[in-house]
Formats: sequence, structure tokens, C-alpha cells
Amino acid sequence: MKPIRIALTKGRLEESTVRLFEKIGYNCEQLRNKGRKLILEVPDANLEIVLAKAADVITYVEHGACDMGVVGKDTILEYGGSFFEVADLKFGKCRFALAVKKGTDFYAGYKVKRIATKYPGVAREYFADKGMDVEIIKIEGSVELAPLLGLSDGIVDIVETGTTLKENGLEVTENIISLSARLIVNSASLKLRKKELEAVISKIEAAIE
Amino acid sequence: MHKNKFITPEGTRDILFEDCAARRKVEAKIKDLFSSRGFSEVITPGIEFYDVFNSESHGVSQETIYKLIDYKGRLLALKPDLTMPIARLAATRLRDQARPLRLYYSQNIYTMTPALTGRSDEIPQIGVEIIGAGGKRTDLEVLVLALEALQSCELDDFRLEIGHIGFFSTLIRKLHLDTEQTEEVRTLIQNKNYPALNDMLDKMDDKKTAAALKKLPALFGGEEVLDEAASTLDCPELTPFLDALRSLYHSLAELGLGDRVSLDLGIVNRTDYYTGIVFKGYIEGLGTTALQGGRYDSLLSDYGKDEPAVGFSINVDAVAKVLLPSMPKNPVPDVLVFAEEGYEVKALLEIRKLVSHGFCAEFSTFDTFDESRRYAAKRGIPTVYVVNEDLVEVRLS
Repeated sequence: MKPIRIALTKGRLEESTVRLFEKIGYNCEQLRNKGRKLILEVPDANLEIVLAKAADVITYVEHGACDMGVVGKDTILEYGGSFFEVADLKFGKCRFALAVKKGTDFYAGYKVKRIATKYPGVAREYFADKGMDVEIIKIEGSVELAPLLGLSDGIVDIVETGTTLKENGLEVTENIISLSARLIVNSASLKLRKKELEAVISKIEAAIE
Repeated sequence: MHKNKFITPEGTRDILFEDCAARRKVEAKIKDLFSSRGFSEVITPGIEFYDVFNSESHGVSQETIYKLIDYKGRLLALKPDLTMPIARLAATRLRDQARPLRLYYSQNIYTMTPALTGRSDEIPQIGVEIIGAGGKRTDLEVLVLALEALQSCELDDFRLEIGHIGFFSTLIRKLHLDTEQTEEVRTLIQNKNYPALNDMLDKMDDKKTAAALKKLPALFGGEEVLDEAASTLDCPELTPFLDALRSLYHSLAELGLGDRVSLDLGIVNRTDYYTGIVFKGYIEGLGTTALQGGRYDSLLSDYGKDEPAVGFSINVDAVAKVLLPSMPKNPVPDVLVFAEEGYEVKALLEIRKLVSHGFCAEFSTFDTFDESRRYAAKRGIPTVYVVNEDLVEVRLS
């Protein structure tokens, strides 16, 4: 039978996902020692695992190249797409927040504010909901740098513990939304391979802590 | 900028040879089916006034529409949808025609998708609309037609999934939410986002209705879904919809189509548009929806004639993509006919004769036999005819 293909997000969510799979009882040997292989197998479970960058997980699942995926809610909010978001895996917990230089009032004055972010979609949506015009600058690396260098008035970014912000003299002024890892499923796959996929989904759901 | 003259815009592509053949095959098979059931083809313009798609209650979102401006400064749209122009046509030029109208179309739609997502902006669609007929019989006919259309394309495995908008609209009305909250619940059900849906509905006062809505996205599968729904939804207002689906399901099973059909009570796409049954077609090997349809009894009144209607459209490219590997390679002519100086007419007569015998013959545009032969070898044409006073057949290879 055709294996079920699952795309996992590399990096921040990887370790927790592998631990979740081990808890289910999947043999994760190849996932632990992946070498240069791109498509990894889970023996005895008819699963194939692909490790990808967060946004690519969505792309693979949306096009049906993978049947399901594990990806952060941050990426889902930024990139959107049509797929089923069936479970909250409850790890990789963090939040989107608006942060500014400590002691400054972001809303003071009538000047159009400038926001540096890796998530322009999320930032735009957040301020559009407030009916507020902002100028958004996309930054690829450490976003915290932008307000420090005077490039922006604030940042919209993922905050886990807030340590990085504090160390750089920034503080959260508003929490935007809580985030965690999600299990997403291709809509056609769920319909055409309902039994197989539901079996895997319920195993994963049962193992969520 | 001038580099753009070598390429096609994002979301479009040139379609060659086997790709064309696959597309035309899908269109031909489905058109034959439609016309054998009394449907007539209509072609609406590729460009319409923007207003056609900008209706208050059923509009297409403006971000996805390709817009043009005409010589009077009026806003035009490259058609993003084929049903709305047909609704316009039905309510105007076809206003006094006998009902029901059975129309089919095979045209492109245009939709602006975010760049670099691998989606097409130009999508060939083929589909039907039955206008001026409500009720179970019409629903059944349309479902059978949708299944037979997919079947006619010789696909290995496909599935038609049927739902009813009534489940969602009845339940959501009882919660008295504003438009924004309604849309949020709808999106969560559409995405089968159980965790967020539960969080949202836990806040509602009407616990019974909230509980029923929470179950909606999980109610998909075979006929057992209807029994499960009857016992778990616990809402008598939903019984007519369950009965309607059960009766449709049984009729389709009697027609031998049962293993192609499944149910999903959580189909809630475009709830502002659909009013009754809704359905989607999936094909094995394709990650997206290949067919989409439903009943839209309130659309026609936007164009000034209040009457029921139901229809569906098939994404021709999606089906063609699945058929492509099984398409024969682009055929090569059987014969290249080369005329010596002064014998061109004789050669063309010879071609006429060959074609009438069922061969594919190509006229050589070269001045010499050598050039003709080299060309034939390059294209893999097996035979060259040399026409002079006689006719010499040269076999290559």
C-alpha cells in the first residue's frame, strides 16, 4: 500500500515531534540518525517522513505531495492555504507579540508607525483589525535589531520566554495571539484515504500531552 | 522589462501536444455526456462588467479578480466565475424560455492567486447549470451527471462527496452571531480545525447547538454518518436534510454509484452562495478538488429573476493532469510527400488520396529530396514519397 507521507518542520519543532512519534511507538531510528537522506522511513508503520522548512510543510501538504504535516500556527497564520487543521499538538508553545523599546509608548504621536517583522502578513492583519495604517518592513534575521537601530518603532515577532527581548532592552506591549504546533492534513487525502489517515491522527491525538 | 517577452506571466503556461490532447479528450467526453442529456452549450464573454461579480450577497472577493478598464472608464473583469454570467443570461435574454433551462459551458476562468504557489490563474472549466428547477429530482440528476462526467474520463479512482448547507445554516442561525463570528465558525468547520472550533463554541450560551456544530466537521464518511448524525446532533430541524441526503445516497447506490459516493456534513464552502446540497469531487493522485457544485437558489434574484438553480463545474486541467501519463505521444505523420519542381499540384492530389485512405501525410516545403529526407529522419517520419512523372516510395530506417 502507498505509504502515508508526513512533512515535519525542521528546527524548533523537530525534537518535540520526534518525541511525540516515539511515544506513539513509531520506530524513529532514521529520524534520529538521518544523515543526508531526505525521505525517511518509519519501518512497520507504512509512514514516510520528510523534513522541511516551516512554510514548505504547508506547500507540500496543500498540493498533496504530503498527506499531512506538523507545522507551527505562526506559519499557518502567515502563509494561510487550504488544508485541514485537525489537532493542536500543544508543544512549541509561544505567542505573537508587539514589542517596543522599553519605556516608549508605541501609540504616541500621529506619525505613521513602522513595524519590522518576519511575518508581514500577520502584522498587516493585526493593525488592519485596529484600523491603523502602519508601514511594514520585512526583516529576515534578528528582528530585535530594527528598533535598536532606529529602523522601526516596534516589532511583531514570536515570543517564547521574552529573554531575548529583555536582553536587548525591548518589552512586550501587546500579546497578539498564542501559538503552538498543529497537525495539518491535505483535504483530498483525508477524503480518499480516510481510514488510514484517521488511524494515524487518532494515535497522534492520544499521545498529545 | 523586455525580458518578459520571452516568458508567460506567473500562473499561466503554454500547453503543448499531449497536454492539449488530454485536455481536449476530457472536454470531448464530458461535452458528449452533457449534450446526450439535453443540455445546450452557451459561451459567455471572456470579459464582463465587474458589477456582474460584485453582488452584495454573492460576490467574488475583489482581490482575486483580474480587472480591466474600458474606453469609458468602466471597470471590467476577466471572468472569475462562470455561473454568475450564466445567471445573468438566464435572467435576461433567456428570461422567457421554457424552464428548466439546461445549459453547459466549457470556458476559462481567471483568478489571481498569490505568486509562486504553483497554482494556475487560468483554469479551464466545464460544467452544467439547471435553472428554474428545485427539488430532489433535480438534485439527483445533477449528482448522477457529476459522477458520470468523472466516470466518462476513464479515471482509476474518484469520489464524490455530498453535503447539505442546511446543517450549518440552521445551526448557526440559532446562535444569533454577527457576520464576522459566523464567518469565523464557518472557516473553522471548513478547515476541520477542531481545537479552535471547540474553544470558540465553548463560549456560546446555547450549549446544545454549540455541541452540534462542534460535531459537524467530524461527520464525514459513508452512509453510517447519517445514523451517527441523527443520534448525536439531536436537533429535529435537521431531519429534513438528513432525509434528503439519505434518499439521494440510496438512489445513487441503486444506480451502482454507491462506492463512488461519500458524505460530509461539514462542507460549508461559500455558504453565502449555496442554499441546498453541496458536493465536491476528488480524484486519486490529485491533491486538490476536481469538481465543485451545489444548489444556489438565491443567486438568480440578484439578476432580477427569482428562481432555483443547481450546477457544478469540473476543473478540466486537474482531470487532464491525471490522464496525461496514459495519453499517446504526439503522433508523427505516416508519409512526407516531396514534389520535384513542377509536380506540386500532383503531390497535393496524392496527399488528398493518402488522407482519404486514412493516412496522415505532410507536404514537404523543401526544394530538394535530400533536405526532405533529412527532415523526415529528424522528425521520425518513416516514409518519403517523391512525386515526379512517377511516384517513388522511399522508406527510411
